[in-house]
Amino acid sequence: MRGFVIAVFLLLLCLTSTGAGAQSWRALTPAQREALAPLVQEWDTLPELQRQRLLGTAKHYSQMTPEQKQRYNSRLEKWSRLTPEQRKAARKKYRAFNKLPEKERERIKQMLKEEQARKEEQARKAQQPASGVSAAPVTNQQ
Amino acid sequence: MITKLDPGKIAQLLTQSTRQMDAGALSALIDARQNALKRQSVRSPVFALAPASAHTSARWTDRLMPHSAQPWIAAGLLAAILVAGTSFWHHAQEQQISELDVAILTGDLPIEVFVD
Repeated sequence: MRGFVIAVFLLLLCLTSTGAGAQSWRALTPAQREALAPLVQEWDTLPELQRQRLLGTAKHYSQMTPEQKQRYNSRLEKWSRLTPEQRKAARKKYRAFNKLPEKERERIKQMLKEEQARKEEQARKAQQPASGVSAAPVTNQQ
Repeated sequence: MITKLDPGKIAQLLTQSTRQMDAGALSALIDARQNALKRQSVRSPVFALAPASAHTSARWTDRLMPHSAQPWIAAGLLAAILVAGTSFWHHAQEQQISELDVAILTGDLPIEVFVD
């Protein structure tokens, strides 16, 4: 019985150790490089599991609309900088959000859009007096 | 000179001999047989490829592969099943995660909404 357990363990060890490692940037296909272009600088330093998961997302790149591609490219860098725990929590939240009724989701989206617009407006207003101040010395010099 | 004995004939002779035995010796032999069978059933290996009582099937497995290799083959099969099951589960999990990641990265809500 002990011999049998050892045999199973040894065979499992042999079978599991043959898994393929993550690819370096040079080993990526042109399609993968195109999808993951925002990560060209840090790709080879990323952990193996993260690289495998990013390659998993890159598989969908060719089927994305131009708008989705633009979002994917702009968010990829930030996404890869998150900690594994943050990404895990984000997936959990996304799942929970998706379980909400359609009306509720739309209400939240609308609320977020309004908040975003308000923030942008505040930022614009905050920039206006600053640009006025910086413009003043120029007019004085003239 | 060695004469070749027919196994069927031997069995027949033994049966005839047992009929001629006295009742005491016969019952002692029956008891001994029962005891031996009980001990054999206790000792039979848990992971045997063929049942201990099935002499015919045990014979063909012995002929097909050496008895010493049988635990290794059983271990190999079990390990292969475990690895296949685990890798299938892992693949399904990873596929689900990558689909979620794509949805977050391409959705109409910014990722900040889902990140603390």
